[in-house]
Amino acid sequence: MALRQNNQTTNPGIFKVLIYLLILLIFISPLVLADSSIESKLILVQPVINANNKQTSISRNGLSAIFKMRLIQWDDGTPVTVFVLPDDNPVHKQFSKKILNVFPHQLRRIWNNAIFSGSGQAPITLSSTAEMIEKIATTPGSIGNLSINELNDRIKIIDIQ
Amino acid sequence: MNNLKKNLKIRFEIVCVLCVACTLSQLLIVNTAVAETPAAVEANENWFSGAWLDGSWMPQSVQIHGFLSQGFVHTSDNNFFGKSDDSVSTDYRELGINGSWRVIPELQLSMQVVYRDAGLTDDQDVRIDYGIADYSFYSTESSLLGLKGGRIPTPLGFYNETRDVLSNRPTILLPQSIYFDKNRNISISADGGYLFGEHRTEFGDFFFDVGAVIPRLNDPDGEFALTRDLPGKFSGNLSWIGRIAYEWQSGRIRTSITYADFHVKYKSNNSIIQPGKLQFNPLIFSVQYNGENWSLTGEYEFAHRHFNDFGAPLDSNTTSIGYYVQGTYKFTSWMEGLVRYDNLIVDKNDKNGKKFSASTGGLLPAHSRFAEDLTVGLRFTIIPNLLFSAEYHHINGTAWLADIENKDRTKTKKRWDMFLWMISYNF
Repeated sequence: MALRQNNQTTNPGIFKVLIYLLILLIFISPLVLADSSIESKLILVQPVINANNKQTSISRNGLSAIFKMRLIQWDDGTPVTVFVLPDDNPVHKQFSKKILNVFPHQLRRIWNNAIFSGSGQAPITLSSTAEMIEKIATTPGSIGNLSINELNDRIKIIDIQ
Repeated sequence: MNNLKKNLKIRFEIVCVLCVACTLSQLLIVNTAVAETPAAVEANENWFSGAWLDGSWMPQSVQIHGFLSQGFVHTSDNNFFGKSDDSVSTDYRELGINGSWRVIPELQLSMQVVYRDAGLTDDQDVRIDYGIADYSFYSTESSLLGLKGGRIPTPLGFYNETRDVLSNRPTILLPQSIYFDKNRNISISADGGYLFGEHRTEFGDFFFDVGAVIPRLNDPDGEFALTRDLPGKFSGNLSWIGRIAYEWQSGRIRTSITYADFHVKYKSNNSIIQPGKLQFNPLIFSVQYNGENWSLTGEYEFAHRHFNDFGAPLDSNTTSIGYYVQGTYKFTSWMEGLVRYDNLIVDKNDKNGKKFSASTGGLLPAHSRFAEDLTVGLRFTIIPNLLFSAEYHHINGTAWLADIENKDRTKTKKRWDMFLWMISYNF
């Protein structure tokens, strides 16, 4: 193997790694520039719950704990069912960053850690806001997130204290 | 005869992989069907076509998840996870499936079954990695306090509890200075109980885990490295683990300190090694910053090992030092790069291993007592949950090579290179 020859010289490792890094950078620089696209337009996203839920407000810590799947019942003991949109969905991104103050990849890590260490469960990922509207409206104890122009009489906003 | 056995084993593995692949493809099909037309799936009453797999028959409190990873290893010298020296080893795969059931909001039962092959360092059987009853007796918006019992993933540093799954570890091979892969089966989980809690405040979340466990010692390399093929048996004694952690903004900054007091005893069935005791005390400091596109991680471990009553030359009292610094950067939503420097010194009073090598009469080379690993890696998210990772390691030292795969240590090379590739799906 060609790799063998390098082992004879005194300290080839560092140089070889530097060359690898350089090649990597050359390949990657156009991709970096391409990825810095404009932020999606502002959408007003709020946490929403099934309208039959007696609770009307929650602390910011409590809301965050619910979406991290660490708080799993409402004040009256009803189990919480969490619905989320895919990680790259603009509504989900905005909700995570502006309301929960986390990046979507942090939530994904928390959920994956929970399901693969047996310490918790994952939220149910839905594919569209249409499905979100349907599920929140029909599932008791459910919570999700929606743009404020998509509410109906079976869905209400939960106030953050 | 041996060849026949080997062939049958390989065929069995292929059948296993195919079965899981079929199940997964069914799941994929069902998932996309749900995404497009939920009504079409509901209308489908035939359980075998996959309707039962979408979970509609299960209560909503039950979840099933799993993973399927296949790795490839090539090394310039020395064997790692199979015959990798000047060849490509495919003896590296990890399959697992877990189920969890939230019986009542306070109680969750969960279990994970894993099949793993990693060259000679894993014996390729199906085993229960964890089986847990988790009861939270106090839960409010700001606090949680609970107890769990059973077989529980051991909370060591950032990565040990979920090290099975590629998506939950930064690289195919975790930094070996702290997360030994050759003895992975010893560290992954242990039987016992934990008290755990968390407190959420405006200035961050605080966590603790404290547990009493009996370590599990069934690891092919662990026993071989200490006693070769001599008859005898290692087993765990009562051990303690504690970890405290602090996270700011749900993990923008993460820090933790882990300490453990592991006790192991050896029952000898030979005249060369006496029955003895082994005490292992790791102390791990962990820090991580997570930005939107980049992250920086560092962990530092002092680990004290005390071999007692075995007789010379096994009896010893050493402290190892292991640490790494790692940076990742997301170039695009589907591609992430990683650079890491990882260093392990087996005995801090003999950093270059020369004293140790001399004490074995040169049978074990000095470079078997340290390992510096410079890693660069790339990870691609092909579709959500389907990952492809590739990484290159340049390594100076052989401290974390498995003895069982490199039986004649005098033939191992000090400086070597390793390429790893892995494709992994989890659901």
